[in-house]
Amino acid sequence: MSANVSSNLAAMLKIRRFEEQCIAMARAGKLPGHYHVYIGQEATAVAACAALKPEDFLFSTWRNHGHLLARGASPGKMLAEILGRSGGYAGGKSGTLHLSANDLGMPTTSALVGGSLPLATGAALACKRQGKGIAVAFFGDAGLEEGAFYESMIIAQVWQVPILFVCENNSIPPKDRKRGQYTSSTLPAQRLGDVTQSLQIPSEAVDGTDLTAMEECFKRLTAEVRNGGGPRFVEVCCSRWPGNIMTWPELPGGDWQIDWAFGGKPDVDAMVAWLSSDPLSLYLKKQLAAGALDRTQIEAIDAAVKKEMTGAAQFALDSAFPEASEAYRHVFAAQESAL
Amino acid sequence: MKITFAEGLAQAIYEAMAADSRVVLIGSSFMGLNMTARKLMEPAVRDYSDRMLVTPISELALAGAGIGAAMCGQRPVVDLGTGSFIFQAFAQVVNEAANIHYMSGGQSKAPVTFYCLAGMRGMGAAQHSHRTQAMLGQVPGLQILTPGGADDAYQLMKWSLLKSQNPTVFICHSLLFTETSELDPNEPMLPVGRARIRRQGSDVSIIASSITVPRAMAAAELLEKQGIFAEVVDLRTVVPLDRETILKSVAKTGRAVIADECHKSFGVAAEIAATLAEDGLSFLKAPVRRVVVPDVPIPFSQSLEEELTVSTEKIVAAALQVLGR
Amino acid sequence: MTDLSLKMLHRFYEQLWQIRFFEGHVQRLAASGEVPGFPHLSTGQEAVAVGVCANLTEGDMLFSGHRAHGHVLAKGSDPYATFCEVIGRQDGLCQGRGGSMHLVDVSTGMLGATGVVAGNLSLAAGAAWAAQVANKEKIAVVFFGDGATGSGVFHETLNLAGLWQLPLLFVCENNGMAEFTGREEHSDVAKVSAFAAPYGISAQTIDGNDVLVVNAAARSAIQGIRAGSGPYLLECMTYRMAGHYVGDAQHYRSKEEMATMKEKDPIERLRLHLLAKGDSAEELEAIMQRVKAEMTAVVDRARKAAHPDPATVMDYVYSADFPGREENAKWN
Ligand SMILES: Cc1ncc(C[n+]2csc(CCOP(=O)(O)OP(=O)(O)O)c2C)c(N)n1
Ligand SMILES: Cc1ncc(C[n+]2csc(CCOP(=O)(O)OP(=O)(O)O)c2C)c(N)n1
Ligand SMILES: [Mg+2]
Repeated sequence: MSANVSSNLAAMLKIRRFEEQCIAMARAGKLPGHYHVYIGQEATAVAACAALKPEDFLFSTWRNHGHLLARGASPGKMLAEILGRSGGYAGGKSGTLHLSANDLGMPTTSALVGGSLPLATGAALACKRQGKGIAVAFFGDAGLEEGAFYESMIIAQVWQVPILFVCENNSIPPKDRKRGQYTSSTLPAQRLGDVTQSLQIPSEAVDGTDLTAMEECFKRLTAEVRNGGGPRFVEVCCSRWPGNIMTWPELPGGDWQIDWAFGGKPDVDAMVAWLSSDPLSLYLKKQLAAGALDRTQIEAIDAAVKKEMTGAAQFALDSAFPEASEAYRHVFAAQESAL
Repeated sequence: MKITFAEGLAQAIYEAMAADSRVVLIGSSFMGLNMTARKLMEPAVRDYSDRMLVTPISELALAGAGIGAAMCGQRPVVDLGTGSFIFQAFAQVVNEAANIHYMSGGQSKAPVTFYCLAGMRGMGAAQHSHRTQAMLGQVPGLQILTPGGADDAYQLMKWSLLKSQNPTVFICHSLLFTETSELDPNEPMLPVGRARIRRQGSDVSIIASSITVPRAMAAAELLEKQGIFAEVVDLRTVVPLDRETILKSVAKTGRAVIADECHKSFGVAAEIAATLAEDGLSFLKAPVRRVVVPDVPIPFSQSLEEELTVSTEKIVAAALQVLGR
Repeated sequence: MTDLSLKMLHRFYEQLWQIRFFEGHVQRLAASGEVPGFPHLSTGQEAVAVGVCANLTEGDMLFSGHRAHGHVLAKGSDPYATFCEVIGRQDGLCQGRGGSMHLVDVSTGMLGATGVVAGNLSLAAGAAWAAQVANKEKIAVVFFGDGATGSGVFHETLNLAGLWQLPLLFVCENNGMAEFTGREEHSDVAKVSAFAAPYGISAQTIDGNDVLVVNAAARSAIQGIRAGSGPYLLECMTYRMAGHYVGDAQHYRSKEEMATMKEKDPIERLRLHLLAKGDSAEELEAIMQRVKAEMTAVVDRARKAAHPDPATVMDYVYSADFPGREENAKWN
């Protein structure tokens, strides 16, 4: 088993198990508020983050857990934040919606559709001026319904700043897509890239269920952006996980099982169908077929990941809620009041 | 050294750009359509054009890009043009910039300056005449600088570009451009958060900011001719608001007239009046008076706009009223 | 293009001059301070207003921006009431409340001009949607500049228009300028029409300084919209002969550029066309002189009109049935 295969597998599993744990905790009444999970999109964050350097900046949305984990954030601090505890990244002030980790180049997370795109463009401007790093903006397909998206693309292109726009389209699967039939049927464009291409930004689409294809794609695009090629747009065609229902995520068929890569089947039809576009299951099957790893190795990686998640949960639950006085802190940053 | 308000601004921008290469201008028509004042920006254009970004009409993303760049190590100032255009950028100014430091639990900061040329400028009509300091004052996390004199235009702008660690809305008024004041470059700056007593007085406190400062000063002069000594308190910044200086002044004079160009309801003057009601009631020898803009959009026609304007005459009349004359 | 009657062509000629003279007076009086604020002139762009509006009926709804004088007149507003508004008089279209940038004349279907770049686009989409629901025959038209395409709301509106297949004509007057900067400086997209295709919206870029070309292109676009084929974007390449606003010294323009202006002038181009069709120079001169005299009379009368009464300043803040209306007036 190559180091790359095992690290890819571990990285994807880490996200999947983290999200399953969030759902379990929410069911148990321990996770307050609404939240979004990244199940079914793990390969995107893993492939994209593999192409990034420490000096790069990342921006995400409400669906940010995968991006943070792939960037190397601590699952314990993340979960503590999601539970509103003092040990979280923001001491309980951000929750899941604004989860960020400044020391990993994720300075803020907007929960507004299109909210982070101007910020990411500004981060790219800073990179250009400082002569190092690039910015990557992850966002959903609904982002294209917001004016902020267009304005960001326009200024990114006019200023030629180093930014990669990654649109994770988790709506209707690509093959079933027709004009006028988008996410919530709200964008008449045939391909999302047509819109950005009309703004003169080189655009392409990539299969979000195929980790290997995305590794190539992100490596190439980030290199182009890094070398001063200006902005790039990529539509990642993922497929919607059946647990992503309207209000709170559910786990149809229960936690994901290794056995499903070995012929076993979940007892929910929608899940059986979805497994054929699950990037994790597909990656495993491909590596198994190529003889790159065996079941024991997979089980060992999964056991390690699960153990890490149990530890994270313990850390989060042990972390105290913030003091009431914390509510007044950080409204303004400390500063000198005169020249 | 005597300088004009516009000179103060231009000089602050130039000096800040010279002092710190992280200062970038996103948009650069700081002087609006005032062609004489625009000339003052020429040295900056000559020496630092590489740090002045050409901008499409995309206020939302420009504001956001300023925030993003600020979080990542730059010190941008975003020129939003006429004050009313900040509405195009509200989603970023109000819902991103103001929240970033807080919701990251102090991890991140966004020292960006949003610059606007706001206010009733004469026939700007409803869509180019907004004063946004009161509504923005409802957004914790934003600093709101409202200079009313050339000295503060210079110092507050320079401070905002070089020292501030928080998102700042810098609200200028185009009718202030020719106001002059003395500026001693060697004198230490009055700290941000401290109001400036522009004129000492014993009979009534006139509390003003931005464009109402010169009008309050003119009113004080007229009042003096009638033997009335008005104290003029220039707030300089609406957030932070120097409640202490306001209360001290009213403790001394016992009477307060608040002159402000925001609308009457929920305005800056309303906040000051509430402060006096809560913490200064015992000082007051008469009810406070607000000289503010009625709750009406700003009409185009001169005769109608003048009806709404916070004028020197109205300030004088209010002062006489609180003095029972 | 040639199927237009001579009468129609003369009408265009008259209308072009009407706008030109109207704005000539605005410019003259602005220089002396009598027209307040910073009015924006459409001098050089009149063919777009005239060519498009000739295809509209009274029921069609129009939206415009900061450079609206020509659109308002071409849609049929009374020049006297329009001029009164520009100088803030009680007889103005909006009783002096709006001014040059906010001309509204509901009686002609001119539903709004906005001083906020791109502020009109989504409103026009809403009007078109209302028309779609109520009456398939009515359409909405929105005039905007190339600068407005930098605004997100332009793209949001294209999306909605394409999605809902709205009876909406987007007319972009691409004068290559936004205030004092050339388009190439703030956009990488040369043709605004390129933005339409991804939304399934048909679009065309035409010579906006030829009133006949504009008229023909607008006619076929509007016929299509009325027939239910959805929105259309007409990009009219044009040229702003005046400064951005009255008082703009135009340092950004070269002498050479100023010299070629006459060739672009839509009035001169129609004049040459009419001469070629057999009109005499004298006939055309007579039309021009008549319009000129009419407009001078209008302006003279407008300048004598009354200013609004300051006591009415609380009017129209709220509609007459708003319960807090009197309270608001009393309290302030
Ligand atoms: C400005 C704004 N409008 C609406 C919402 C409510 N909202 C939250 S998520 C969402 C859908 C987002 O879809 P998409 O961008 O495709 O991302 P996904 O959740 O599918 O990853 C909406 C409309 C919001 N958060 N912000
Ligand atoms: C939202 C907004 N931002 C900025 C302005 C200032 N402004 C007025 S006109 C103009 C240029 C508009 O260019 P364009 O749309 O091409 O129209 P043109 O003036 O060329 O007719 C600008 C930037 C404004 N009125 N509204
Ligand atoms: Mg233009």
